[in-house]
Amino acid sequence: MNPEDMINQISGRLSLRRRVATVVALLGGLAVAAVVGLLWATEPGLPPRTQVAFGAIVVGGLAWAAYGVWVLSRRTPLFALDRVIAAWLALTATGLSAVPVAVVTILRHRTEPVAFVTDAALLVLATINLVRARAHRAALLRRKRELGG
Amino acid sequence: MNDELLVVRCQLGEREAFAELVRAWHGPVWTYVRRMLGSADADDVAQEVWLAVVRGLPGLRQPGRFPPWLFSIARRAVTNRLREEYARAEVAGGTERAGSDASDAVVDRAELVAGLAGLPVREREILILFYLQDLSLQTCAEICAIPVGTVKSRLSRGRRMLRDELTQKGYPR
Repeated sequence: MNPEDMINQISGRLSLRRRVATVVALLGGLAVAAVVGLLWATEPGLPPRTQVAFGAIVVGGLAWAAYGVWVLSRRTPLFALDRVIAAWLALTATGLSAVPVAVVTILRHRTEPVAFVTDAALLVLATINLVRARAHRAALLRRKRELGG
Repeated sequence: MNDELLVVRCQLGEREAFAELVRAWHGPVWTYVRRMLGSADADDVAQEVWLAVVRGLPGLRQPGRFPPWLFSIARRAVTNRLREEYARAEVAGGTERAGSDASDAVVDRAELVAGLAGLPVREREILILFYLQDLSLQTCAEICAIPVGTVKSRLSRGRRMLRDELTQKGYPR
């Protein structure tokens, strides 16, 4: 097998589109599971059939998230640019899932401490993740310039 | 372009840089694997090595240390394959020579470079890394996770065994 054959064999693992799609699946699954889980936890008196449906949606979302984690850890890792894209997606998904929870609780004129604390913690984590990803990429770009690239 | 720059570009996510890295290092990796395992397994194991490189490259903390890191991965892949082969040989009731190295039964079946074929894995590995891959004593020590002194003693023993092996096969001393 020559180098070109080898490059063709592994090129699928290097596809940016594939890695971003995996990150979207992971974050989408997590966001759906988080929103539905918070609704489930904060909504009193739900009928049993609704609770079963919420449970199924949460399990489905977590399954997608687990699949994303498995692919990223075992098959297709994230390079510096991917990490920045993934961090932005994570921050956006966290924001999008936090807004409905905040709106609903404000409209009902009652605070849900569990929901607020969870949303705030996730937003802080997503922001830290983005800052770290950008710093890592900046360090690599600096090193690349030092090496004459 | 030096290896460190290529690795940094790979870590940034530049696909073309990875292609260049494969073009630069596939030959040495494939040659090492073929000489350790034979032609039949070389392609499969070399592919395993490159997939492991793809997985591990974003986490490589010292891009300047790429060659020893790459050969450590190759060595692990070769060791795993030898272990599998040896386990299969044991299950099949293979006849291992008394007192020989654990991998010799497998080694004997592989198509190896004439003189190296009869050497135990440890000595063969060091001879390949030092003489055929042209790596330094220090790098060989890092790849094999042994002290430099042990590398020297294995090289010495390997040279002696290779000389005996070639003499037995009829090559002039």
